[in-house]
Amino acid sequence: MKGEKTRKRPRLSYQRRKSLYGYGFISLWLIGTLLFFLIPLGKSIAYSFSSVSIKPGRIDMKWVGLDNYKYAVSKDPQYTDLLEDTLIETLWKTPLILIFSLFIAVVLNQKFRGRALARAVFFLPVIIATGPVYEIISGDIKSTGNTGAAQFSTMFRTDLVGDLMRDLGFYSMSEKMTSFITTVADNIFGIVWSSGIQILLFLAALQNIPPSAREAAQLEGATSWEYFWKITFPYVSPFILANMIFTVIDSFTNPMNQVMRRIMLFQTEEMNYGLSSAMTWLYFIIVAAAIGAAAAVINRFIYYEFDA
Amino acid sequence: MADNAGTDKKELRQRRMASASKAERSYVRRTALKRRLWQFFRFLILFGIGFVILYPLLYMISCTFRESGDMTDPTVLWIPRHPTLSIIKETMDAMDFGETLKNTLILNVGCSFVQVVSCALTGYGFARFSFRGKKLLFGIVILMILVPTQVITLPLFFQFRFFGIRGVFSKNLIDTMWTMYLPAMTANGIRSGLMILIFRQFFRGLPRELEDAAYIDGCGPFMTFVRVMVPNALPAFLTVFLFSIVWYWNDYYVSTMFFHNTRTISTMLYDLDSEISLRLFGDATIKMNPREQIVWKQASCLISITPLLIMYTFLQKHFTEGIERSGLVG
Repeated sequence: MKGEKTRKRPRLSYQRRKSLYGYGFISLWLIGTLLFFLIPLGKSIAYSFSSVSIKPGRIDMKWVGLDNYKYAVSKDPQYTDLLEDTLIETLWKTPLILIFSLFIAVVLNQKFRGRALARAVFFLPVIIATGPVYEIISGDIKSTGNTGAAQFSTMFRTDLVGDLMRDLGFYSMSEKMTSFITTVADNIFGIVWSSGIQILLFLAALQNIPPSAREAAQLEGATSWEYFWKITFPYVSPFILANMIFTVIDSFTNPMNQVMRRIMLFQTEEMNYGLSSAMTWLYFIIVAAAIGAAAAVINRFIYYEFDA
Repeated sequence: MADNAGTDKKELRQRRMASASKAERSYVRRTALKRRLWQFFRFLILFGIGFVILYPLLYMISCTFRESGDMTDPTVLWIPRHPTLSIIKETMDAMDFGETLKNTLILNVGCSFVQVVSCALTGYGFARFSFRGKKLLFGIVILMILVPTQVITLPLFFQFRFFGIRGVFSKNLIDTMWTMYLPAMTANGIRSGLMILIFRQFFRGLPRELEDAAYIDGCGPFMTFVRVMVPNALPAFLTVFLFSIVWYWNDYYVSTMFFHNTRTISTMLYDLDSEISLRLFGDATIKMNPREQIVWKQASCLISITPLLIMYTFLQKHFTEGIERSGLVG
């Protein structure tokens, strides 16, 4: 990338010319990023440290230091709770999503009849699963009158599981059973629908396992189990990290999750821009810290074939 | 594993079995059994999970074609008792489908296209050129991927509201197409960081000989890009374009921030309840039995994703196979 060693012209001026072209290619992005990303980013930080009010034609900002942050953490009744809830939910959802998508990717990578159809179906959630449609599908209580995957319960019109249990002779189990099954059903739904892109990434990663490794394993007589852990897993591990980051970010920035909703509340209804900015930044810092910590841990387990 | 023609295989197998030792025979039987078991198990899993995915869609389709009365009819589970197309018509009316679709298409397809082009340019710049501060600038790209949109939406809103240089001019851009097009043209649209990354990885993966050949023939870098790199990159372009369409189509958050009067399909879904009541009963405040309302809600969902589904059925290969080909991963 640095310098054409075989050129006879003076290296410096050719290189510099090429550099200028480089800048040229990214010039559009540079302008855009400055205008639409960096400046708003800076302003957002500024907002979080001030109390913002709108006057006709301009915005008024009064510096209040850490007040907004303090309010978010101590005085707002729901913020810290919601933060905790969301964090915990992401904590157990992410590994599940990763494991699930890896498993499905391995399955979808095998050759079998109808594989194209299976891949098409599993990727469907990516096409649909954003915004209002997803909310309606996953059954917001206000949109369907049911909660979550209780939509499935239109199939179990009566307490089917409970009846089954009772028929089999377990009496007191039925309530716990139904609620357990409902929770599982709920989560299966959520996990399956959030895994679309992860499955895709893992699939692509699996396709990139060098055939030489695969042949070597076959020659040595590796069982499928061994094959998975000794070959597939190490080759896929860099993508576990990437996928994990993607999953966490996806779930954290999902506008439908609780914390986001609260932030939106302050932004749109109460017009307290300073507070909402502070909340957002606090949230983001926590997310970044979480990702950083997880990444550091995972990095130790990654097998890099080449030092990319 | 030597693979003979079909009829030979069985013969070969039988002959082999006959001459095999007892241990060999039992091993073969065991592995065959394990394979069968796995095939069955795999089918079960795929079918079961496929069901979880398809169920909402089937439910949507089923609801769309039934009258609202059917919802409270306990004998109706999947097949409507009174199949009707009126729900579809009513919903399309309420959504102002023609207008909304037009808005969405202009916004969506246009922005997606523009964004793909600008991201490709940027990606190429990062891939093939070295210049001062490249690492830092690419770090900003990564930052763009990581930082959630919500962080910058607010200031962005003000940016558009009072767009201009202080003291020189100021225009209110909210509710115009520019709020979407300007960022898209400058590679800052929805998920643009990701696209830049994809393009960079892709261009890195192309052989240098292509460019060298072009340079020798006297092409400048820009012409090289247009004449040589782009034609080679068409599959990647298509895939990114499709993904971009999907993201823009499903986008709700950014759209509501910047558009208060123009409707897109996604924003429409939220106001549907009152619209439906308005159309049906002439009064937006009448609350219907929530179960009955489901029919229209599901119909609206179905209608809003149908264009995407159609596109998906025909171009599905580009979605699922596209990522591998784009070289993001290899």
